[in-house]
Amino acid sequence: MATRDSLSGPDPSVRDRLRFARQSVGERMPTPGEGIVGYVFLLPAFLLFGVFLAFPIVYTFYLSFFRFEGVGDETLLWIDTGFFSYRLTSIADLSFVGLDNYVRMFTDTLFHQAMFNTTFILVVQVPLMVALALLFAVALDASFVKLRGVFRTVLALPVSANLVAYSTVFLLMMQDAGLINYVLTSLGLPAIPWLTSSFWSRMTIVGAVTWRWTGYNMIILLAGLQNIPQQLYEAAEIDGANRIEKFRYVTVPQLRPVLLFVFVTSTIGTFKLFSEPVIINGGGAPLDSTITIVQYIYQTAFIDFRLGYASALTYVLIAIVSVLSAVQLNVGGESDA
Amino acid sequence: MREETRREAVWQFLTYGFILLGAVVTLVPLYWIFVASTLEESEFLSSTDPTLIPGDSFFSNFQALQARDNVQFVGHVGEMTHYIDFGPFYVAYDFWNLWNMGAIESSIFVAGVYTILSLLLCSMAGFAFAKYEFRFKQPIFYAILATLILPIQLLVIPLFLLMSQIGLTNSYWAIILPWLANPLGIFLMRQNMRSIPDALLESARMDGATEFQLYYKIALPTMKSSLAALSIILFLFQWNLFLFPLVILDQGKYTIPVAINQLVGAQRVYYDQIMVAATLSIIPIFVLFLFLQKQFVSGILAGSVKE
Repeated sequence: MATRDSLSGPDPSVRDRLRFARQSVGERMPTPGEGIVGYVFLLPAFLLFGVFLAFPIVYTFYLSFFRFEGVGDETLLWIDTGFFSYRLTSIADLSFVGLDNYVRMFTDTLFHQAMFNTTFILVVQVPLMVALALLFAVALDASFVKLRGVFRTVLALPVSANLVAYSTVFLLMMQDAGLINYVLTSLGLPAIPWLTSSFWSRMTIVGAVTWRWTGYNMIILLAGLQNIPQQLYEAAEIDGANRIEKFRYVTVPQLRPVLLFVFVTSTIGTFKLFSEPVIINGGGAPLDSTITIVQYIYQTAFIDFRLGYASALTYVLIAIVSVLSAVQLNVGGESDA
Repeated sequence: MREETRREAVWQFLTYGFILLGAVVTLVPLYWIFVASTLEESEFLSSTDPTLIPGDSFFSNFQALQARDNVQFVGHVGEMTHYIDFGPFYVAYDFWNLWNMGAIESSIFVAGVYTILSLLLCSMAGFAFAKYEFRFKQPIFYAILATLILPIQLLVIPLFLLMSQIGLTNSYWAIILPWLANPLGIFLMRQNMRSIPDALLESARMDGATEFQLYYKIALPTMKSSLAALSIILFLFQWNLFLFPLVILDQGKYTIPVAINQLVGAQRVYYDQIMVAATLSIIPIFVLFLFLQKQFVSGILAGSVKE
């Protein structure tokens, strides 16, 4: 307790009386230097935030009006002392192209294909997954269900699987001679070309994403269900509501903010799809029918090295995601009021 | 009345059936990946006779995986193919480089370092926002909050240019530094630290505690459960990062996702080796998950809080 002693002031009685006086006044007395202490605690996060988040956000926008010619080598600042030398070079060698990068998107068929694929996956996958997650949450919330914790853990298990590793499982199961087709054929159904037809390869991604994220969303919905006041159900019962009616008129409306949250985060997640199509479909196969926006941005930037155009694409994606998030915040705010 | 109980029984049966079906569909792929890693490729890629019983080829598959020259999955003692550049931390340099790290160790190392540093930064920033008054506090806080909606993984292009500019390409710092000041982490810590009573801090101040002691002797210990939940969010975020490591890291420094991608991308796909790699990368996190279920669940829920 040596530290405790060294912390103590010289005269305990004075200290105690001071403390009592302050507590009885009931207000927080200003401590000298408090205005600076806040900044000191904030400084490391603030510096990293500025360099690695604020700057890239602004710089991506700037880049989107240029054509990238190469990594910069123009010397901006050169300090050379006897002890150390430091040379700051420009970030990139650029030539200004105005709005060309944005205009080009209108005629870029691969970009249109990527938008279509992402939207297709979105429209099929998000409602399917949210519906499944809601059904599982309601089933697990039923009062008679035993071992609720065990089932919840099992259903949420896929979340902990590495994104790329789980994609390989689907790559394997969906082979022409894979497990899924074995099950289908032994049930007397035709085998499905999961990886070679453009429709079914998208459905494979839908299946993989649904498998991974349903349990995650179920946990969020389950927490929401447990916040619904029990009296509402009792009141509905007195009014003679059956199970379906209670679900329709109590559960769903009460869960609306949580459902919206799940919907919007899943939508944003779909816009960020990258590892699944890369691993399962080897980067967009067959015939670019599974290429997603982020994957297209990656190819444009780091395989073709058209960083300016890729920045413009990124900004379009950021705009889409921001609008969706803003919608979420607004709708969420309304329902709270 | 009997009609009523019979209906109830059918309903319960259907509910259990649905949950069990979900559990089976969830578990079969996970079990299958484990089974496939213990079989030879011809045994599990067979549409006529696949088996669900583990075989005994795990170690031969593992040796084949380790023998590949484009990916080092698990590290070994021996001739160094690359060094971890610790920058100024030369003391650690020789010790760490006795072991030639593979993708598994790289991932654990990077995610671990990231989690610890980010917890420190986020809790400090959260403490500042929750318990101090300073000029421009609200604007700064809302600026950080606004970036919550941005998918920060998308900022790879300027980050790539920035990293090549400051000489951090092919360095683990390149995939640790950019997301250290995690907006969600700062927000969560600020929300939770507001519940620390001012009187407690005030009386510690009068006992002569410095401001930093307030942070690590009072604020951090009372935030244990929030920190645990946040650490799971942070660890899984880094563990799953794929796009930026793929861009910035070279062969020999790959993390698990990039290493597995390297296996899949080859001309001839060796599924048996890929399944061993997938098994090895999934099992450690499953074990963590089973031990830390509560924190996982509160981590997921913490990520979904709205104000």
